[in-house]
Amino acid sequence: MDDWKNASTDPQKRWRQGNLPSYTLLVRPLLPVNSMMRPFLVLLAVLLPLAPGLAAGEAALRLLTWPGYADADLVRQFEQRHGVRVEVTLVGNDDVLRSKLARNNGEDYDLIAANTAEIEHYVQQKLLQPLQPARIKNTARQLWRFRDYPKIPGITHDGKVYAIPYTYSEMGLIYDRSQFREPPQSITSLWDPKLQGRVLAFNGSSHNFSLASQARGRDPFRIAADDFPQLGEQLIALRRNVLTFYSLPEEAASLFEEHRIALLWANYGRQQLKQLRDAGADVGYVIPREGALAWLDCWAISRGARDLALAEAWIDFSLEEPMSRALLERQGLSNTLQEPESLDLPGRMIWLRPVEDAERRARLWERILSGERPPLVEAP
Amino acid sequence: MKFGIAFKLGCLLAVFGVLACGLTGYYSYSSSRATLLKAAERDLLTATQVLGRNLRGNIDGVSRDALVLAGIAQGKAMPLAPSAPVREQAENDLAELFETLMRVHPEYMQIRLISAAGHGLEQVRVDRDGEQPVRIPYPGLQEKGHFDYVFDTLRLPPGQVRLSPIVINHELGTHSGVGRPTLHVSTPVAGADGQPSALIVINIDLNQLFDQLRSDLPAHYQVYLSNRWGDLLIHPDQRRTFGFDQGRRRFLQDEFPDVQQLLDTQTESLIGRSDGKDTSLVAAFVRLATNAGNRESFVVLGLAQPEEYVLKESSRLGERIIQVVIFASLLAVLIATIASRAMTSSLKRINLAVQQFARERKNAPLPVQRQDELGQLARSFVQMQEEIVEHLEELSRSRNALEHLARHDPLTGLPNRRVFFERLEHALAAARRSAKPLAVLFVDLDHFKQLNDSLGHSIGDRVLQAVANLLRSATRESDTVARLGGDEFVILIEQLDDPGRVVAVLHKLHERFQLPMLLDGHEVKVQASMGVSLFPRDGDDIESLVQQADRAMYVAKNAGRNTYSYESNEQR
Repeated sequence: MDDWKNASTDPQKRWRQGNLPSYTLLVRPLLPVNSMMRPFLVLLAVLLPLAPGLAAGEAALRLLTWPGYADADLVRQFEQRHGVRVEVTLVGNDDVLRSKLARNNGEDYDLIAANTAEIEHYVQQKLLQPLQPARIKNTARQLWRFRDYPKIPGITHDGKVYAIPYTYSEMGLIYDRSQFREPPQSITSLWDPKLQGRVLAFNGSSHNFSLASQARGRDPFRIAADDFPQLGEQLIALRRNVLTFYSLPEEAASLFEEHRIALLWANYGRQQLKQLRDAGADVGYVIPREGALAWLDCWAISRGARDLALAEAWIDFSLEEPMSRALLERQGLSNTLQEPESLDLPGRMIWLRPVEDAERRARLWERILSGERPPLVEAP
Repeated sequence: MKFGIAFKLGCLLAVFGVLACGLTGYYSYSSSRATLLKAAERDLLTATQVLGRNLRGNIDGVSRDALVLAGIAQGKAMPLAPSAPVREQAENDLAELFETLMRVHPEYMQIRLISAAGHGLEQVRVDRDGEQPVRIPYPGLQEKGHFDYVFDTLRLPPGQVRLSPIVINHELGTHSGVGRPTLHVSTPVAGADGQPSALIVINIDLNQLFDQLRSDLPAHYQVYLSNRWGDLLIHPDQRRTFGFDQGRRRFLQDEFPDVQQLLDTQTESLIGRSDGKDTSLVAAFVRLATNAGNRESFVVLGLAQPEEYVLKESSRLGERIIQVVIFASLLAVLIATIASRAMTSSLKRINLAVQQFARERKNAPLPVQRQDELGQLARSFVQMQEEIVEHLEELSRSRNALEHLARHDPLTGLPNRRVFFERLEHALAAARRSAKPLAVLFVDLDHFKQLNDSLGHSIGDRVLQAVANLLRSATRESDTVARLGGDEFVILIEQLDDPGRVVAVLHKLHERFQLPMLLDGHEVKVQASMGVSLFPRDGDDIESLVQQADRAMYVAKNAGRNTYSYESNEQR
């Protein structure tokens, strides 16, 4: 169940939690293009360092990152500007990233991209080195909340900053405008009996427990052991109120259309919003007042980085217009420079953090999803 | 290097023949190959459609079971059963029925009656645990209202059947069904008011269902099944199936790009190809609607076989065609060789004949019997040859006549002075070599002038002719009798073994001259004076010999004519 623990703290995999705890979750299904291209990209990443034309001696920047974060055309721009070579190694999940980074104590890579929870882990493992945001001048262009480092969990340690936020996605609420006079304010609307059978929630153990905890006004990532039965029942109540729990965004979209759904908890964030709007639905998007769970991917410099200045230059480059726009347009992700559009209410992001007991959440969720009736009695 | 017409012509014919064979072979191969491929694809498509119908048939069977169970449940008015014992009895009956059905159908993993009330609470549930059906008692029953097979089925009018999307069953407590690819076949049970008040759900293990279907297929057929998005549900490599359940979607259209068309449009079936690393596959895909009336709910069923298998037949055909083409080409080369030989052998014969004629004026055999242009050429040539020969003969005749004229005396036909001196020169040369003596004999007629004047020139001419005959008749063939002019004759006697013979000749001539000649009724007496010179006695050159003979003749004249002088100059 180690995989599961990783998965639950991994924002990249937020949508895969719940019904299948025993699988290693590999992918970001939200990017089908990437998933199709991944074998190619991985191959490219493997072959690129072997290319004979790029002889040794030339300075090289070694990136360990995700599909979509270092597209070839943008990498070429950077290479031309700095007269260096960039070796991109792509990973599909956090476990691979962990093993690759840890292999030579971070000697193999200069720069990695990981979410805040993972950064926290790497800082603890002493695989990263602190960086000075002041040396990366484009950080000045970022929104304030992405520069308020102490408030972002996991990326500071002992007063030192270890990562620069790069991209994020939050999980807000999508609602059918024709069925709401006022936009829903709170995630408790998911439990609203008036909407019974017209609510769609996500099939994911970690997020759903976080959601239930949030609804009760508690810390979503630190559920007290005694609170589990209560939250279990809360989730059974959710189960009785929803039409169903979806897994894939396409699935959600067709359910939304077929069953006249009023409220949808958007695990895939704005991508789902766009999908529904493209399908012609008159939908709004809100960040509930309790705050929206969100993952935040950051750049961090590994402890074994060869060329600190070059690594900082890449971070700087990634915060420029072309890369930020590519995130938005190619990946449907939000960048850290502009506030996203199409938000009915401004709201707070709750950056994902490692949860207290992912296995327990998963175990319970499986039972809840299978349809068990309360009370949920946990075997000792 | 120079090539003859035979070679060039042969090459041309051979190239043409080989080209014709090759092209014919190629086109027949490619068209038959296309036909074979079409046929194989059609077979594959038919097989897929049959498989689809079988699948449909199997599922229809399950649907009928579901409908029968729904009918029974409705008959027992279970959802609204008045009292607990009655309801319990009905539930037990139904559970027994479920168990019986599951024993018959190993692919049934679970049969349930689910109430619309109580958030879709299960009312009767029989699971499969290995071979055995197991009835789940009340505490284990679960709420299933949030599953699509419940909320979608409850929206259907009674009598209709819903087929769910195929998923991996993760519902806890389903015994053998956990983790299996599952199809939910469900139908509503009508309550007293005619509205659905419950539903019957049969879970089918997709793998078992397909194992049954697959057993009817040839081993090299590979079965594919995908949902409406192309997610692989059945694949020869089982690890690739249900990727969406593991967070990594794997699509049929990634392997067979043509399938996209089936997913996106209303196309019912198509042939697709995949170009794998090792083998290319040809596959037929059909679209099977799962819920009538809903265009969005369908699965894609496919059968694939390695392309090489399909092409085996056509490559066999190709081999045979290659053999035929090679044989025909060899034949073409052979025919070309023979034809070019036949053509040029006549030409060669004509050429040879021309050369031979030019060289030796001889007629070589020509292909005149041929009826074609070459025969014509030969005939023309023969004609030309004949004409040339004729002309040449005439030319040589007239040349001979001219030459004769130039070397002979026209009156007597005897060699003239020029010829005599030529022969004398030759004879001298020969005599010197052989050391055999020769004689020159001068003959001068006596009183010929008077005779000419008295009897006339014509008689004179006759006399000369007669004298010529006389001289010829008295000498050997090999001796030369010539007329030097006027009434002077000369005789060259060669190879004189015995000089005494000259005297004999002289004597003989003298005697003959004593006889009168009868010419036109005139008796004419012609006599001659003769002188002789001998080689080597009287000299060893022409001049001295002739002079001596002349002198000797004059000696005879001076001696009273009609005599001869044989003696040498020195002896007198």
